[in-house]
Amino acid sequence: MKKYQLNNEQLPSFIDHLKKQGTVFAPHKKGDASFSFKKVEDPNTVILDYNRTLNSIKKYFLPPREQLLSFSKRDNSFQKGFIEKEKKIFLGVHSYDMKAVLKLDYNFTQGNPEENYLLHRKNSIFVGVSFTPDEFHFSQSVGIPVHNTEGFDIYLEKNTDGYTVKIITEKGEKLIDGFDTLGKAKDIATNYTQFKNKLKYNYNRLPEVFEQSWNAAVWEEISKKCVGCGTCNLVCPTCYCFDVEDNLDLSLQTGTRDRSWDGCMLNSFAAVAGGENFRKTLAERQRHRVYRKFKYISDITGEPWCVGCGRCTAYCTAGISIVEIVNQLCDIYEQKYLNRPAMAGLNAERL
Amino acid sequence: MSIAISEVKTQELYYPEIAEITAVKRFTDKEKWFDIKLPGGRSLGHRPGQFVQVSLFGAGEAPISITSSPTKKGNFELCVREVGMLTKLLHELEVGSTIGIRGPFGKGFDVESFKGKDILIIGGGIGIVPLRSLINYVIDNRNDYGRLIILYGAKNPNELLFPDELKQWEKNKDIEYHVTVDQGTPEWKGNTGVITTLIPGLDLDLPNTITAVVGPPIMYKFVLMSLKTKRIPDENIYLSLERRMKCGVGKCGHCQINHSYVCQDGPVYHYPELKNLQEAI
Repeated sequence: MKKYQLNNEQLPSFIDHLKKQGTVFAPHKKGDASFSFKKVEDPNTVILDYNRTLNSIKKYFLPPREQLLSFSKRDNSFQKGFIEKEKKIFLGVHSYDMKAVLKLDYNFTQGNPEENYLLHRKNSIFVGVSFTPDEFHFSQSVGIPVHNTEGFDIYLEKNTDGYTVKIITEKGEKLIDGFDTLGKAKDIATNYTQFKNKLKYNYNRLPEVFEQSWNAAVWEEISKKCVGCGTCNLVCPTCYCFDVEDNLDLSLQTGTRDRSWDGCMLNSFAAVAGGENFRKTLAERQRHRVYRKFKYISDITGEPWCVGCGRCTAYCTAGISIVEIVNQLCDIYEQKYLNRPAMAGLNAERL
Repeated sequence: MSIAISEVKTQELYYPEIAEITAVKRFTDKEKWFDIKLPGGRSLGHRPGQFVQVSLFGAGEAPISITSSPTKKGNFELCVREVGMLTKLLHELEVGSTIGIRGPFGKGFDVESFKGKDILIIGGGIGIVPLRSLINYVIDNRNDYGRLIILYGAKNPNELLFPDELKQWEKNKDIEYHVTVDQGTPEWKGNTGVITTLIPGLDLDLPNTITAVVGPPIMYKFVLMSLKTKRIPDENIYLSLERRMKCGVGKCGHCQINHSYVCQDGPVYHYPELKNLQEAI
């Protein structure tokens, strides 16, 4: 693997170099305390040292609202939607968000490969960046270390003067082609990136926990706090459920059929015309959400579908923590099925 | 896992075909029957038990069971209860109107594996709609199947669907047809009582009888208990589930029951598989 040194002061010119090759999206400051991926206009506004963006880059592949077709009621005809195929360069992506894109790839290509998603997704280049885990990140526990480079074309690893630039793929090699001011890689020891937030069990043991957790009291307990707002679904980088709805213009004759993000935490999600609702209670809906992250797809793929970004917890309006939920299930599992006392303080590394 | 995205062949999944309504019949206050012609008059190519997404521009899409048998070539048929906005607007359409159709979707009844078996049909309310596709398929391939036993239950005599066909089933010596209503009327001479009251009296060749059950959620619990007392093995039972569906292609998530997407793995499920799905029934 080729490595170079990119010093902090070279960053704006590096971003300019990327901009010549496609539309660049990178993290920017949003309000006082948040960050958001945006199209880069001014390289100086890009922030690579951030904890997490409010939304992940899934918004570029599965837009929050997307027109599927436009129609006219006059002659009952429709026109297909249009998706522009632009070259997109994502700069400053954390390893867990990259992994989330690879998981969405799976969901949108299995069974019926969906054209809409793939048109957005093809032609994308990813430049990753390292991060310092905060109190919400737990990606290590779900098998994604900070420096996990899977999916990246280039990876930027922070060091004292700037970044070690690691060229991962041929696409990445081409991307830096012509940017001649990169220095020789410095031999700087990487800091061990310690996670404060951890699941008690390593992810490969979670399927057996979830096998026994369907009737756990935890679901009822968290439903007392949960307000069913669906924020956790919106900010989750691997949530991809959507609603489809027709919207009429003022003429009431023409309109569009649009899809928009939906959330399984919302009351109407599993309701059918006629009044039946197949997941009426918040407890059932929370259980469904968490099982989707740790069991249903995981049973098939062998991977958890949670990437440990911490967003659902950081942004929960009711203070519900997914790590606490899973750890409580681990405790119950320990006590009930393994006949051992709860392992207070134990962490994934020791298991 | 990494998927080579650039090599994946894509599919257009969300564009309907514009089809024409060629006949309409009202069965009850709430249910209407539609005959639908696809472009060029081609057949839908479905299996009994499958569904289509019916599209009305401005109202959206709704999953609707196909009620005609694939043995009927050309046009296909839907029977729709008015329960929401889309179905209300659909009921207002007349012959010559056009609607959008996507599908057929899902797995239907595995009619091939039913060959040589006796077929017991249990339909409650509009559950008879998808079952009619199977019934007519068996009637049209009568020599491939054993006995055809139909149990049909409705709330009252006015809610019985397909009245002309019911009379034919009743007359047909080759069909054992039993109907019951929860509440009779003074003119009603037939059985009264819920559909499970028809089950104990059946004389069945157990290992050789396939049971297809479609009805409201509440019905499944009691029908399954009755079938158990008749000692019908679980492996011989198939049921069809209703769920909210937006895409029909296993993406939107609304119809998901545990790991299973009803639009892909259902709506018709083999009961041994369904037993392992929490929240299914």
